[in-house]
Amino acid sequence: MSFSNPAAFLWALLAVPVVIFYILKIRMRRIPVSTVMFWEQVYDEKQPRSVWQKLRHVASLLLQLLFLGLLVAAVADPFFDSDVREQRRVVVVLDTSASMQARSEDGNTCLAAAKTQIRRMVRALKPQDEMALIVAGGRPQVVCGLTGHQRTLHVHLDEAASTDGPTRVVEAVELGRRLLTDARNEQIVVISDGRFAGAAELAAEDQVVWSQVGASAANVGITRFQVRRSLLDPITYQILIEVGNFSDESVECSLDLRLGGKLLDVMPLKLGAGEIRADVLEETSVGGGVISAQIQREDELAADNSARAILPQRLKIPVTLVTAGNWFLQRVLEANDVVELTLVDEVPQNLPPGGILVLDQVLPEQIPQGNVFVVQPMAATDLWDVDGALAQPLVDKQDRSSDLMRHIRLDNILMPEARKLTPKVDFTALAESISGDPLYLQIPRTSGDVLVLSVNLDQGDLPLRTAFPIMLTNALSWFAEGKGELIPAVACGDSTDRRLSAGLQQAAAEHNNQLVLTAPDQSQRNIQVLDGHCTIGPLQQTGIWKLTADAGDDHIPNEELSAASAPALRIACNVADPQESDLRMPETIKARQKLLSAGFGGRPIWFYLVIAAFLLTMIEWLLFQRRWVS
Amino acid sequence: MALFDNDFLTRLEYLSIVSRKVFRGQLMAQRRTKQLGGGIEFADHRQYTPGDDFRYLDWNLYARHDELLLKRFQEEEDLHVYLLLDCSRSMSTGEPPKFDLARQVTAALAYIALADLDRISVYAFANGVLNHFPLTRGKARILSLMQFLESLDADGGATDMAQFAEEFVIRAPRRGLALVLSDLYDPAGYRVGLDVLRHHKYEPHIVQFHHSAEANPKMLGDVELQDVENGDFRKLTVTESHLRSYRDVFQAFLTSVTEYCSAYGIGCTITDTNVTFDQLVLGMMRAAGTK
Repeated sequence: MSFSNPAAFLWALLAVPVVIFYILKIRMRRIPVSTVMFWEQVYDEKQPRSVWQKLRHVASLLLQLLFLGLLVAAVADPFFDSDVREQRRVVVVLDTSASMQARSEDGNTCLAAAKTQIRRMVRALKPQDEMALIVAGGRPQVVCGLTGHQRTLHVHLDEAASTDGPTRVVEAVELGRRLLTDARNEQIVVISDGRFAGAAELAAEDQVVWSQVGASAANVGITRFQVRRSLLDPITYQILIEVGNFSDESVECSLDLRLGGKLLDVMPLKLGAGEIRADVLEETSVGGGVISAQIQREDELAADNSARAILPQRLKIPVTLVTAGNWFLQRVLEANDVVELTLVDEVPQNLPPGGILVLDQVLPEQIPQGNVFVVQPMAATDLWDVDGALAQPLVDKQDRSSDLMRHIRLDNILMPEARKLTPKVDFTALAESISGDPLYLQIPRTSGDVLVLSVNLDQGDLPLRTAFPIMLTNALSWFAEGKGELIPAVACGDSTDRRLSAGLQQAAAEHNNQLVLTAPDQSQRNIQVLDGHCTIGPLQQTGIWKLTADAGDDHIPNEELSAASAPALRIACNVADPQESDLRMPETIKARQKLLSAGFGGRPIWFYLVIAAFLLTMIEWLLFQRRWVS
Repeated sequence: MALFDNDFLTRLEYLSIVSRKVFRGQLMAQRRTKQLGGGIEFADHRQYTPGDDFRYLDWNLYARHDELLLKRFQEEEDLHVYLLLDCSRSMSTGEPPKFDLARQVTAALAYIALADLDRISVYAFANGVLNHFPLTRGKARILSLMQFLESLDADGGATDMAQFAEEFVIRAPRRGLALVLSDLYDPAGYRVGLDVLRHHKYEPHIVQFHHSAEANPKMLGDVELQDVENGDFRKLTVTESHLRSYRDVFQAFLTSVTEYCSAYGIGCTITDTNVTFDQLVLGMMRAAGTK
């Protein structure tokens, strides 16, 4: 047997004062009395046992010394040498996914029950044992490396909070294996509700000790929620909503849809057992904001009862059309609800801020600054030369990756009399003829981008095709920096890569290429911006995340996206995971294995020494103190 | 503070007045003795024997029954009061010591007796007669008596009432009232000594003193008790149970004193040291008046 803290034996010196006090104690108090004859009568009636009377003081000293010895030995923390040879290294994988928030019958969450089990295991660690803690919610993370310090483990365990993200137990176990490389007598303890794919296989592995918490529960949750603007109608938007009934009984409830806090619709839901229902709703609104869905039903998991998405706002785009008369072009622009159209004969000197200049055949020698869309360029300018016309060009290549060509096919469209352009500057061909001449091209400029469509609208059938209004809508959106098409909601636990608006890029440049990400619980962290993009995530909480330039900008309400004076990016985050919403307990998990124990009875030796010391105090009280006060 | 100061003397005079007005002749002074002789109050008849005084023949009886009977009268004489003060070491215990109260009571009773023209004598005893104040009469002797009492110490050794009583009856042949002021802590028993007094025709009256620590001790645990009278030690482990038993034993002792006195018509006063001497003496006079 060895001791973890041999220096504790210095406490044995306390035996010296104990003996001194004992000697002082056995020198009895001398009390003069008038006569002892009455006391003799008393003690003649109650004659004490003589042997005990002789030994009682020595027994008292021995008990006290034994009590001290037990306490000193307990502080010295003894352990068997076999404990060293059998040193255990344990990695505990704690599932902190959304489904662990489900409450069991006793009112506690699965996560609380799991933490209770882990605390018991930490207390059962032997002195040489080591334990690590990995949380597996959203992204596996080692929150505490291998250590035998129980207080550290308790602190990190207390800090482990539940997330709204998916279960990543399998990945966490793999991470645990890497921690236990070259370790002997190792164990990976998984404490989870088992509501993830591959749970049964994981539980069957030899190295894994499986402990399951929670109980089956019925749940209704939103598994998908996205909003996008219509491709054809600028003010229409579509809501994709998918709701699942993860129970063995049919459920009737309702779902509220709100835009910026205002009620849009109430959907009655009648879902059969295990039914997952998806709906697409169409609504119209020029304004944007946060669209939220809320299931009006209380169940065991609240996180998936609500979902949010960002609806991009449609801003009015001032478009100045310089034309001698183009009925198709004018009508397409007028039909677009977000366009504020101005018809002029000559090229204006100045454009309104954010405005787009559309030049139809009328061309100055120098293309003005700002965003310019040129249709039917009949003459050369500072950006290109015109070398006649292309008789019957057919589109051979088109850039499908460009947002400008989204949902457009030009390969079967006749485009006679298209201008043959020779750009003088760098350009990107969005559509090319077989001869390699650009038919639709993008010319980037620092003073504003230029789009050129060389097609003769009067001769071809492009204006009669649906591609034409889509092309113009794409162009307008592109000039408007893509605002307003789709800001996808992110599933909890996922990361997202976002291209920042010019305003945010400028703000990031002013802040050392860093922006502030504010979580739904108002916690903040910095995000690095690289080449106008930033990677955000993994997002572990449902709600609206905000990316702003300053930490103080997070006060901007979600509903006032357009009114925000400071540039900001909002990202909606939802559970959106049928596996997390399904709280029915899988039946394939094997029976619980025995968790950690320390020594006989699952306690360290010092614990039994303290118990023995406590029993000694009781014996001492019964033998000595009780006789005085009984 | 002196044992007998001016305040003591003032209260002593007050006691004397009260005893004369209210309890006249009921405790000691002017009370009838059991001596038969030349008094005026008829007591009994006896046969005439030659040499008897003819003046006491009952001529009426002789005329009716033709029998010579002599009338006997209860003799009135000044009372002899013996104050027997326990000076054993046990009397020195208590706060204040029992001995102080006993001496004050002794002085008070002596003053009352002297004021009523009785004769008093004080005997200090422990395991025999240690000292004594001879028979005296008249209030003027009270100061001498006080000086005598002040000169006494409670260091006389162990109590032996039988031994003392044997010596006392030899030293004081004249019968009278014998007031025993003691704690009666005689290991051999107080009864033997009192029996000797009774058998020698003294009229004992007992004043038993004890203090609260004797009646209700508080010590607990391992203690070594020292008997102040004989110096013996007794090592004890005192528990609550023992304390309860002790209280019962002590109460039984006091009860035995009361029962003894009651059985033999002996006056008895049991007191602790929490009372003042005048309260105690007034209590004694009231008790005597109700008998």
